[in-house]
Amino acid sequence: MATLTPTLTLTSTDATADQLSFSVTDSLSVTAPHIGLAKIAATTTGANNIIQPATDGQTYYVYVHHTGVDASGSTVTTTLNIELTGDVIIGKLAAGEFMFMPVGGHSLGVQLQASSGTVVAEYAYFTKA
Amino acid sequence: MATTTATLTLSSDMLSSPISISASSTLMKAGITEGLELIEMGRGTISEADASKTAEFGLGTALGVDKAAKLFLVNKATDPTYYIDVDIHDTNIGRLYAGDWMFIPWGINDVASEIVIEAEPAGATCPYEFALFQEPQTLVDHS
Repeated sequence: MATLTPTLTLTSTDATADQLSFSVTDSLSVTAPHIGLAKIAATTTGANNIIQPATDGQTYYVYVHHTGVDASGSTVTTTLNIELTGDVIIGKLAAGEFMFMPVGGHSLGVQLQASSGTVVAEYAYFTKA
Repeated sequence: MATTTATLTLSSDMLSSPISISASSTLMKAGITEGLELIEMGRGTISEADASKTAEFGLGTALGVDKAAKLFLVNKATDPTYYIDVDIHDTNIGRLYAGDWMFIPWGINDVASEIVIEAEPAGATCPYEFALFQEPQTLVDHS
């Protein structure tokens, strides 16, 4: 069994009068299967861009990063939908943004869908031990 | 304009060579290069056994459609068997076990996109904390 250590830091000097400085970490026990780090040129059909298989009772820790380029390497500003399979939208990433979340408790996978053209995303997932 | 920076690092000893992933971004409004400036933070406790079993926050409204939002949520329970089910409206998207957290973009795509959290299993009590970064919504006139 292995350990995954995610750390998130949120900082701002001007969002509020008092500075925002926040950091959280965790120690997650993970096991195979895992994918990391992989890349996909997501298209506008989410079902063609499934990055995490359907869960079967297990939990996957999923990371996705919108790289800000398309399949040709050109800079894009189009958004990238993060969806559960079946086109259930969780949210959308703008260029450069990322997400990290546990996916589980159901029988759905995770898919990506570009708002237009293609969007290259980097992703990884780890299976909760 | 507010500039809020989120940085994530992932490291693991899963392979013979260490895994290390890092990403950083500024939290922006949708479609423009202005930072998210509305921050809602809170904490609470949900218990499977009583009326506080579920909690909702960051209610989606028609005014929020296609606006940007980011959600941080952490389960502060210490019992490793206690978890929080996280739903968008009535669709479960994942579960946070004790000490686990998530940072996701939240799509306010329609009024049925509220975040709902629920303590599980039977007997579980889960303190939680959250931070929601979003755009101000232009309110309509009172009628």
